[in-house]
This record gives sequence, C-alpha cells and structure tokens, in this order.
Amino acid sequence: MTHPLLSVRDLHVEIDTPRGLLKAIRGISLDLNAGDSLGIVGESGSGKSITLKAILGLLPKNARVTSGEIFLDGVSLNSLNAPKRAELLAEKIGIVFQDAIAALNPVMTVGNQIAEVPRRRLGWSKEKSHQRAIELMELVGIPEAEARFHVYPHQLSGGLRQRVAIAIALSGNPQLIFCDEPTTALDVTIQAQVLRLLMDLRLKEKTGIVFVTHDLAVVNEICEDINVMYAGRFVESGGVQECFQNPSHPYAYSLLKSAPDMEHQVERLFSILGEAPDLTKAVNGCPFAPRCFAVTEICRSSEPELRNQGGPFSACHHSSTFKQSLGAVELTADGGQK
Amino acid sequence: MSTNIIRGKSFTKKLNFNGNGSFYFGIGLITFLIILAVAAPLISHFDPTGQDLLNTLVPPSRQHWLGTDQLGRDVFTRILYGARIDLTIGFAAVLLPFIIGTTLGLISGWFGGWFDSLLMRIVDTTIAFPFYVLAIALVFVVGPGPKAIILAITLVGWVAYCRIIRAAVLVAKELDYVHAAKLSGLPTARILRKHLLPNVISQAIIFSMSDIVLSILAIVSLGYLGLGVPIPTAEWGSMIQEGQAYILQQWWIPTIPGLMVVVTGFGLSLIGDGLVKRLNR
Repeated sequence: MTHPLLSVRDLHVEIDTPRGLLKAIRGISLDLNAGDSLGIVGESGSGKSITLKAILGLLPKNARVTSGEIFLDGVSLNSLNAPKRAELLAEKIGIVFQDAIAALNPVMTVGNQIAEVPRRRLGWSKEKSHQRAIELMELVGIPEAEARFHVYPHQLSGGLRQRVAIAIALSGNPQLIFCDEPTTALDVTIQAQVLRLLMDLRLKEKTGIVFVTHDLAVVNEICEDINVMYAGRFVESGGVQECFQNPSHPYAYSLLKSAPDMEHQVERLFSILGEAPDLTKAVNGCPFAPRCFAVTEICRSSEPELRNQGGPFSACHHSSTFKQSLGAVELTADGGQK
Repeated sequence: MSTNIIRGKSFTKKLNFNGNGSFYFGIGLITFLIILAVAAPLISHFDPTGQDLLNTLVPPSRQHWLGTDQLGRDVFTRILYGARIDLTIGFAAVLLPFIIGTTLGLISGWFGGWFDSLLMRIVDTTIAFPFYVLAIALVFVVGPGPKAIILAITLVGWVAYCRIIRAAVLVAKELDYVHAAKLSGLPTARILRKHLLPNVISQAIIFSMSDIVLSILAIVSLGYLGLGVPIPTAEWGSMIQEGQAYILQQWWIPTIPGLMVVVTGFGLSLIGDGLVKRLNR
C-alpha cells in the first residue's frame, strides 16, 4: 500500500500570548501525494503560516503542538527523536519564505548559500557542489549564473533574490516545497515569473508544492487543490476548479466574491464585514457565524465539521443551501446585510 | 561579459566608508599612535628609564621635546614607550573577553535552557561585583604586571560581550535564513559559525572599540594606584601618578600622558561611531 508523502492528522497548535492561550490551529488534517500542489488560503491570523511552521518544527518558543500527528513518507514525526526528525524533514522538504531578503544570509555569497547543503549535508566535493549550485541557478532562471555565484544578496533585485531562495530550497533535492507567500513581496510582473518558475519546477522536477497565500488568483494559477482556512480550521477543501466554480462554504464564497473581477464593473468591491474571531476565547458554534450572510440558529450553537456534502468538502451546516439565502438577503456592495 | 559589474566586491569595499570622515580620522589617529609606539626607538634616542639627575624637571626644549621628569627622564620618550605598554595591554585585554564572551553568548542564545539560565546568573553576579576590588585582589594574588591586569579585565569584561551576542542571537535565530538553514539539515556548528556569528558580531565589534578605551582607562587607573605595570617601566598611568606633585610648576609632566589617554579614547570612539553608522545603516 502506498502512503501519502505528507499526512497531517488532527493537528492542534496553541500559542501562549499575554492575552491568554490562543488556539491557533484547531484540528486540521491533510494528505499530500508526491507531485501534488496544494494551496492553503486564508486571511491574516487564520493559521496558514503556523500550519507550515508546525509541520516543520519551526514554531516559536511560545507555541506548541498540543495534539495530532504528522506523517512524512509514512513515518510519524512524533516517533522520531529530534535529530532524526530534523534529518527526515531536511531530506523531504524545502521552504521558500515570503521575504527573500530575510531568507538569505546577508554576509554569504548566494552561490555559497546554494552550494552549502550539497557540500555540508550531502557531503559532495567542493567542485561538484559548486557545479550543482550553478545548475540550480540556471534552473531557476538566474542569468549569468557563473558570475552571480559570487554575488551577495543585497546586490540582487527582489525577483532574483526570490529565485535564489527557491534554488536554496531545491538544493537538498526535496520532494516537497513549502511556499509561505513567496510572491507577496514582489511586484506583479515578477510575481508572474516566479509563479511560472514554480509551475515549471513542479512539472520538470516532480516536486510537490504547498502554497500558503491570501491571493486567490495565485492559487488558481498554480495549485490543483485548495484548502480554505478560517479561524484555525479548514472550512473548505477540494479541487481548485471545483471550489472556484461552486464554493460550498459561505466564507469561501465571500472571499471569491471580494476578488476584483475584470468582466463586471462594480463601484465598490464586495467585502466581508467584521473581524476573524478571537481565538483566545472558546469558539461556540461556527466561527464564521457572526460574519455570515446565511447564519441560522444552529450555526451559533454547534461548530460544523469538515465533511463531504457533495461538491468540495465543507464545514458548513448549510453548504448546499446557503446560496439560496442570497436571494432573500441582498448583498450590498460593501458586504453588509440590508 | 559584464562580470565586473555583478561580481562580488571584497568585504572592505562593500562596507563603503564614503561620507564617514570622522571614521577615517579615528582610524588615522589610532594608526598614528600605533606607528609612534612601534617606531619609538627610531623616533627617540633616549632610554625611557634612563635617569639623568643633572637635568631634572627641564622644560620642553629642542633636546627634550616635552621636557624631563623629576629623575631627568625624557618625557616624550616615556610617552612613546608608554603607548607600547598601554595600547598592547588595552587591545589584549579586550581580545580575550571578546572571544570568550562571544562564544558563550552564541551558545547560550542558541541553545537556551539550563545552560542559558546558569550563564546569565553568572553574568549578573559578575556585573554586581565591583571591578577595582577584584582587580586589586588579583594583583595581590598574581603579582602586579600586565598579566594581572589582563586577567582582571578578562574576568569582568566577557560578560558585556556575552550579553550583547546573546541578545542579538535571540533575535537572529528567528530570522528566516536561520530557519531555512536549520531546516535544511546543516550541522549546528556550521549554522552558528556561518549564519549566526557573522550577522551578530557587528554589535560586539562596535562595543569593543569603547571597551578598549575602558580597559586603557583601567590600566591607567591601576597604574595611578600603583597597582599597574611596576615602575620604572614607562606607562601613562604611573607617569601621571609620579608627575602629579609637579602639576603647578612642570604641568607637562602629568598632563601630556593624560592627554594621550584622551586622544586614544577619542580616536577609538570615532572608529566605534563610524562602524555604527556603516554597520547599522
């Protein structure tokens, strides 16, 4: 029997804050096979980045995984001691961060940073690692790679820096790349180039991608599957096409609706009123209920589980019917309910 | 190909000190002092400890540029030879604490845990301990001389570097490139050496500039108290102490060594400020 490359089971993460214990992730599960591309979408504070950090063991000191299990290539990370776990993670997963300048060591040449893992971890010779670094730089589309080997990060443009960061992520031959909003800090044309690069890499190198972002258009372009995250849980999960055409959670629906549309001119963009719930307090009922246009009595008392209700998996009591309430409650341009 | 344009420049070029005149002035000043100290036998033909009891307390003249002291020793010569002692001990007494403090701070900040707690308590205790009491005690144990001074300054001085580096590591270890290095499975020693150390050390280097000033002051103070380098070796502190009796008639005898301390401190401070400007941008 084959097992998924990455499997997360009912993960919970809590963060100690001055305001109290914050339940940042409240039970998420996901499966990822080799070569898959998964987008995790949500607003700030929904727990996207924490999910990645929890899997990678990079949680800050005040945060910890309280329950749940992570399997990497069929091996439970809980069952390994720290060095073994680090070794397995290093072998399987590479990471690309949002801010490429923070993700590169400012006092080390980019070539040496890319060659470091082959040289130090894989134990390759100096020449071979150097050669590999040049190859990787060419693979990620850095022109004049040979000469740029000796350049420091601050001498490169933002787009090139992010390419270097991707090359570093690839340098250990991972089967999976975690991308934590890698295009958010880039301007639109560079963003498109970097996305194209990631897509090419997926096809060429068969590298799986987990892409965390708040940009739906990016997910649409690069991912096959999508998980919409809200208040520390996945509220909608399925194929990108399916989710975009037929969202089955009011939050996902509202997110899509609030993205600008080239075809229909509107005076004001749709927006979701209110704020995400305070996760230091206990969540009663559906966390989206206070902001939902289709809210009913049951939403305020019991929290729905993510389940198959026809269409994408959805954590909504009314996943098949909420759109009908749209007729009754006319949405105003600013998303309020009349 | 335009390789020149995109080739990495050397580290010094990268620092680019343009528009930082006071930094250059500081470097010039200290270099000048070091040259004076190194070339002392070439500049002056007098013996720094050679007495000439027929020519005591002579005012500045063409033969004795800064006059002579109560034993007829040439003050200018003693200033030069004093620079040798004071600068050497000053730099040496900073190097050791720098290395020890940086290493311990790096380890303590990175690993945390009981080692960190223990080390920080030791640091607190050391800071609470009066320096001169420790120095005087050590001089009695080890015997007066450079060794005791360096030992005393090292025993106390490392804590500052330890704290500076530890604080910087606590910030730096949450940066993405350190996370990435950690995640990519590199050995911890390499992450510390290549990814953390070069990025946290600038604060310590800047502090070390003012620390040299402080150690020179400490040497001079100990010399003044008669606990420094034993007389008759030329040393600024003991020169001030010996000369203070003549401050009203032969003011140059105690004043010039004092001014030398001030100039050295000034030069090092300028270098420190210049480094702050460049490294902290």
